[in-house]
Amino acid sequence: MDYIRVTSEDELATALRRDGAVLLAGGTDLMVKMRGWAIRPSLLVDISRVDSLRRVSTSSDGAVIGSAARVADLLANSTLCVRYPLLAAVLRSLGSVQIRNRATLGGNLANASPAADSALALLAYDARVSLAGGAAERTLPLAEFLQGPRRTALQHGEYLRAIDLPAPRADWIPFFHKVGRRRALTIAIASVAGLLAFRDGDIVDARLAAGSVAPTPLRLHSVEQLVVGRHVDDALVATAAATATRAVAPIADVRATASYRREVAGELVARFLREAGGLAPASL
Amino acid sequence: MNIRFRLNGREVEIEAGADARLLDVLREDLHLTGTKEGCGEGECGACTVLLDGQPVNSCLLLAPQADGCDVVTIEGLAEGAHLHPIQEAFVEEGAVQCGFCTPGFILATYSLLRANPEPTDEEILTALEGNLCRCTGYSRILAAVRLAAARLLAQRPAAPQPVAAAETPEAE
Repeated sequence: MDYIRVTSEDELATALRRDGAVLLAGGTDLMVKMRGWAIRPSLLVDISRVDSLRRVSTSSDGAVIGSAARVADLLANSTLCVRYPLLAAVLRSLGSVQIRNRATLGGNLANASPAADSALALLAYDARVSLAGGAAERTLPLAEFLQGPRRTALQHGEYLRAIDLPAPRADWIPFFHKVGRRRALTIAIASVAGLLAFRDGDIVDARLAAGSVAPTPLRLHSVEQLVVGRHVDDALVATAAATATRAVAPIADVRATASYRREVAGELVARFLREAGGLAPASL
Repeated sequence: MNIRFRLNGREVEIEAGADARLLDVLREDLHLTGTKEGCGEGECGACTVLLDGQPVNSCLLLAPQADGCDVVTIEGLAEGAHLHPIQEAFVEEGAVQCGFCTPGFILATYSLLRANPEPTDEEILTALEGNLCRCTGYSRILAAVRLAAARLLAQRPAAPQPVAAAETPEAE
């Protein structure tokens, strides 16, 4: 295996055309897969020092996050974290201190895990991704980029350049909860992230996403359509939770059964609505 | 590949394979065996080193990625025979049993206390969430971090010390 460290996107695009080339950013997923022989690259292209891919900019129009920006750097960016508190909440729960110091947002997306929590927040914010290195640069919604477990829209020679976030609403209430066996480093059994906005007691905007309950992180559009325009009461909470359990398509694996994952997804949606709508927590 | 980096304050230059992990280079080539391999997958933190001042898992880092960087291992903390105050605190509080996880915990603590000299218990637990101990448990480790924080804080000057004119090189 060869290793090269590129310092510009031109060098990167050239290197990526070689057969067997695999991108290395933080390495926190790739090194584990290489150790298990799940990936055997002939060439590792290290992009962790390409400055243009590490840039983060925020403006009144939104934010652009370079794909190789490290999670720790994003969390240290107070403007970004104040404007996108749901993204900050999700990134604070990613891995551990050691992982956050190396892992990148682009890596978490390109790795295309059904359990990638950062994708939940980005889906809720309607993020788009820009892909370069192909015939022409293109941008597409994150939901189209994530195609299945370990499958993305990236073509041979393409790389993820940046993640674009539209301007946020100031009145969104964020929610993120992950159910797993350990707080740090856990791969979720199920997780839900979302944003709700209210006017005069009614929900006027709803964004809900769930992880580890489908082949990709998933927007819960059916739940969103159900709750918009409604006042939160016990009946709505129950219907929304039931809708969520039908919207997800989990598998059973070593971490949990499919039916438990459905229940958890419904319960987390119910908790979000109760919290944001000011209802008392359900008694157990 | 030829790799150069700063290791515990000294420049080192070594030959390593493109697929060599920093962990292996530290232990096998440079004979610094304080850095341990636990899980090899970034979950246990036994291989923690400081890369440009930040804790990282050296089992998830290729040696070529450390090229040009500053690396500190557990061997870099003591000054001669004098243990670092964090090391002393771990010894005094009995926060060490088998010792395998200890270098990682101490380096994670070092990084925490430099950035945040007076952490809350919650902040300590967050800073140490990437480190696992399988024998003594965490209450002694938490006590050691609190003790180390108190000692390091007591050592810090209350305000920047004025430099006496006679001590500056320009004045000689």
